[in-house]
Order: sequence, then structure tokens, then C-alpha cells
Amino acid sequence: MFKKFREISIMAPCAGDAIPVAEVNDPAFSQEILGKGVAIKPTDGQVFSPVDGVIDMVFDTRHAVTLVSDKGVEILIHIGLNTVELAGAHFTALVKAGDKVKIGDALINFEKEEIEKLGYDITTPIVVCNPQDFKGIQPKTLGTVTAGQCLMVVER
Amino acid sequence: MAQIKYVITDGLGIHARPAGLLVKCCEDFSCDIKIGTPLKMVDARRIMGVMGLGLKKGDELTMTFEGADAKEASQALTEFLKTNL
Repeated sequence: MFKKFREISIMAPCAGDAIPVAEVNDPAFSQEILGKGVAIKPTDGQVFSPVDGVIDMVFDTRHAVTLVSDKGVEILIHIGLNTVELAGAHFTALVKAGDKVKIGDALINFEKEEIEKLGYDITTPIVVCNPQDFKGIQPKTLGTVTAGQCLMVVER
Repeated sequence: MAQIKYVITDGLGIHARPAGLLVKCCEDFSCDIKIGTPLKMVDARRIMGVMGLGLKKGDELTMTFEGADAKEASQALTEFLKTNL
């Protein structure tokens, strides 16, 4: 079988520095309780869709979004750590539950500097919430990453 | 079958971290576990489904347990809810 049929690419939703989730300073992510994936320390305040799919939900607090890809990968993008506490301040949602999105569509804008000034770590984990449905999840890019570049690969 | 009901007291409701911890707690058991409200019940072992309920402070949630270790699971989840939510 050809490899490309077994691999689903998850693109980087933002530009920045990609690190393994094990290095995220929050046990819910570093212990993979929320899923397997990669985290990005963003260099700007824009989050784009990492896949073609449907928005499952945008948290009321707009600090996180979940998507289901056309191939059944369930993805959580969580902007910053403990940012639920901001109750929506400094986040603007550009999509809502049920919206169909394509790779690169803008999802959420956030005021990176303002959030950091308040003392929050802006590290943004991108995790697959249903790893049990797949054979494996492999990071493809660590270090400097641009939005839209392949970040990780899900193996069917 | 066992069933529990719980009113959320945590001000932040079921956001990402408590959803993840709840799913992890369910993984210790083999019975079928569902969570939600009378309008929408979801598989308590799927993080996105649990987060997608969007349960907030003051909401009453229901959990149902079906299978061999339903009683033990319902006891563990009762403790979990009291401690975390």
C-alpha cells in the first residue's frame, strides 16, 4: 500500500517554535491526558485550521477550539495554558460550531502580548483527542515552524 | 446499571483539563459510561464529546454506568466530581 493513503497530515495552525507536548508546563498536556500531539510557542496572534473539516466547538471563553477532520481526526487547539481564566478577554473567535473549514482558514485571533503581560504561558498545544482510533501520531516538525507547514502525521 | 447526578460548583465548568481528567478516571473501569444531560448523553471516554457538552457552574449532569463494575465506577466518579467539579 502507498504510504500517503495511510498518513493524515496535520498542519501547523500557527507560526512559532514547535516542542513535544511532554515539554509543556501543564500535566494535562505533558502527560497526554488530553491527547497526543505537538505544542507551538506562537510568534504572532493568529490560529488557522490545521485540517479540512468541521468546527466541533469553540469554547465560550474562546481560548480553545475543537475540530473533526474529514478523515475523523479529533483535534484540540488550546491557546496558552490556564487561559480559561481570562474568560474570553483578548480572544476573538472567527468561526462557530458546525462551520466547515479548509486548511489555512482563520479560526481565532488573540492578543499575544497582552496575554503574556498578564503572566500567562502562551504555549499552544495541538493534540489529537482520539489517538485510540489510529495506529500512531508522529511529530513531523519541531523547532521553527510556519503556519500551514506539516506539523504531525496521523497513521491509520 | 447505576446512575448519578451532580450539580457543578466549579466556576470554570467542564473545560479542557477536567474533561481530560474525567476521561482518565473512566479508563480504570470496563463498564459502559455515559455523561451529559437528559437532552444529550455522550460516551464519557471521548474527550471531545465531554468537552462538547459545554457544562457550566450550576448545570446538573447525569452519568450512567452499565456493566460488571458499574457500582465501583459510579463510586469513583462520584468522588471525582466532588473533588474536581
